Amino acid sequence: MKKLRRRSILKTGVGAPAALPAVGRAPHAAADGTSRRAFLEGGAGAAAGAAMILVTPKVASVALDAASPSASADSAAVVTKPSGPAPHEPVTAYVRNAERGEVTVMSGKQETTYRDPVLVKRLLDAAR
Amino acid sequence: MSSHREAPEISKDPVADNTDTYAFVSPDSPETVTIITNYLPAEVPAGGPTFFEFGNDVLYKIHIDNDGDGRSDIVYEFSFESAITNPNTFLYNTGPIGSLGDPNWNKRQFYSVTRVDRHGKDYNVKVLGEGLACPPCNIGPRSTPKYSALAQASMHSLPGGQTVFAGQRNDPFFVDIGSIFDLADLRPFQNLHLIPTAAAPGVDTLQTLNVHSIVVQIPISKLTVDGSVPTNVMSSKAVLGIWGSASRRKVRIADGANSEHSEVGPWVQVSRLAGPLFNEVMIPMSLKDEWNSRHPVDDADFLPHVQHPELAKLLPVLYPKVFPNLEALSASREDLVAIFLTGLPAGVVPGFQNSTGKVLAEMLRLNVAVPPAGEPNVLGIIGGDLAGYPNGRRVIDDVTTIALRAVAGVTYPLVQKSYKPDAAAGAITQGITPLPFRSQATFPYLAAPHDGYDFPSSTA
Repeated sequence: MKKLRRRSILKTGVGAPAALPAVGRAPHAAADGTSRRAFLEGGAGAAAGAAMILVTPKVASVALDAASPSASADSAAVVTKPSGPAPHEPVTAYVRNAERGEVTVMSGKQETTYRDPVLVKRLLDAAR
Repeated sequence: MSSHREAPEISKDPVADNTDTYAFVSPDSPETVTIITNYLPAEVPAGGPTFFEFGNDVLYKIHIDNDGDGRSDIVYEFSFESAITNPNTFLYNTGPIGSLGDPNWNKRQFYSVTRVDRHGKDYNVKVLGEGLACPPCNIGPRSTPKYSALAQASMHSLPGGQTVFAGQRNDPFFVDIGSIFDLADLRPFQNLHLIPTAAAPGVDTLQTLNVHSIVVQIPISKLTVDGSVPTNVMSSKAVLGIWGSASRRKVRIADGANSEHSEVGPWVQVSRLAGPLFNEVMIPMSLKDEWNSRHPVDDADFLPHVQHPELAKLLPVLYPKVFPNLEALSASREDLVAIFLTGLPAGVVPGFQNSTGKVLAEMLRLNVAVPPAGEPNVLGIIGGDLAGYPNGRRVIDDVTTIALRAVAGVTYPLVQKSYKPDAAAGAITQGITPLPFRSQATFPYLAAPHDGYDFPSSTA
């Protein structure tokens, strides 16, 4: 199985590697601009925020790789104290279905569900 | 009621709880429509020290469907942010608040208004206003001695002849909540209830309580599908579907380190409201929050609860021998389907229709070609006043009496002429005469909120 790269997780939907097949994307007016349902659920509130937030994970992932070249490696998680308060709109992931290896990632006002058993396993390990 | 704390989850989230939606052709400006969405149910005027405000983490929306498909064609979005000007005081204000810029006013709120138009697959997004000031809450004679001036200064003009207000007002909805939810204690036959009580006058439960209102007045030409100002009541272009909603971000992270919270994820609708009493009376408790999360275009899923409403079955049980014809009525209540889900088609009420077609969608349906009534009847269409509920909804409309009479069978002859409603159905009344101060004749049509000094408790 292809190794998981943290940077790829931080990316939202666009350009997701083959190891992270998107199995569901929340409707979003700014993302596709075509869905009537997206209009109902997202509207301008979603559109206005998305452009700003789409940049954030990329910036974060680049900074992470630069600061710690080993971050891309499949290293064990280390318990640490939070270095500060939660950011304004933190990239957030949760295990949606452990048996199916589904993890949902939210960034800004976007939400994407991936099938990624490796990441799910790491999250479950960290939860123990 | 009409949608105050109506569902288990939203009852715990007052700032997102859409309590009432109103839509009517403005009586003093008949080339415009006024739409009101109220939130924050049952605000006790004495709400210090923090008093009340809109949710900064809530996206408030007013939706307009102008082509009858049950989907939003136009959305007005309202986003709020608060400011504390003096971080060193516990007080809402450190002296009388004489103006919206008064330095004595410590805890303020501002908002933006954005209009989104859908054109097929494209969306036109336009910010109509930013940094618009809300008025303060009405504190009392020392703090807000000239409240009407503060409220007047909070009415903002928007481009295109539009006007907006967002802030605290007196809740205009008049209903005897304590009576109705005590096993449907209805007047004038309390003594005929299965558990009888002596006759007693109705109580206007919300009379001295406040609410937070978003009021927007919009030229009709900016709402219709072709930009026209319809004058033909029978034209489908004259009918607008209207509802309000509130949404929250999907994830909220409470961070004890700084006593704030972070949010992420798409907006998720947690409250919606169009017609009064629909979610309360028609939808079972177990489905109320789900209904709040859905959109009108999905309302076919709830059709059985309209065709065979629980309350219509309860009334003959609770009032033995009072509603014999209703008890015998087992057919689908297509009259209620029309009132709530499709609008009244032409030919049912002479000279009137507010049908939006076959799509089952719970919306207020306002026929903008019907001019404001010179002498409004609080019973709206069943009282012979075509400008009142269920043609949109005015502040003065006695929607509780109208809805109870309709469920009790008064409107069933509209679809089945041979049905004879029980005499009791047409006699149902709330027993409430709203006091004159419960509304006002001009924008924002809602009366000033009660202040906490003069109305220190809800029994004042």
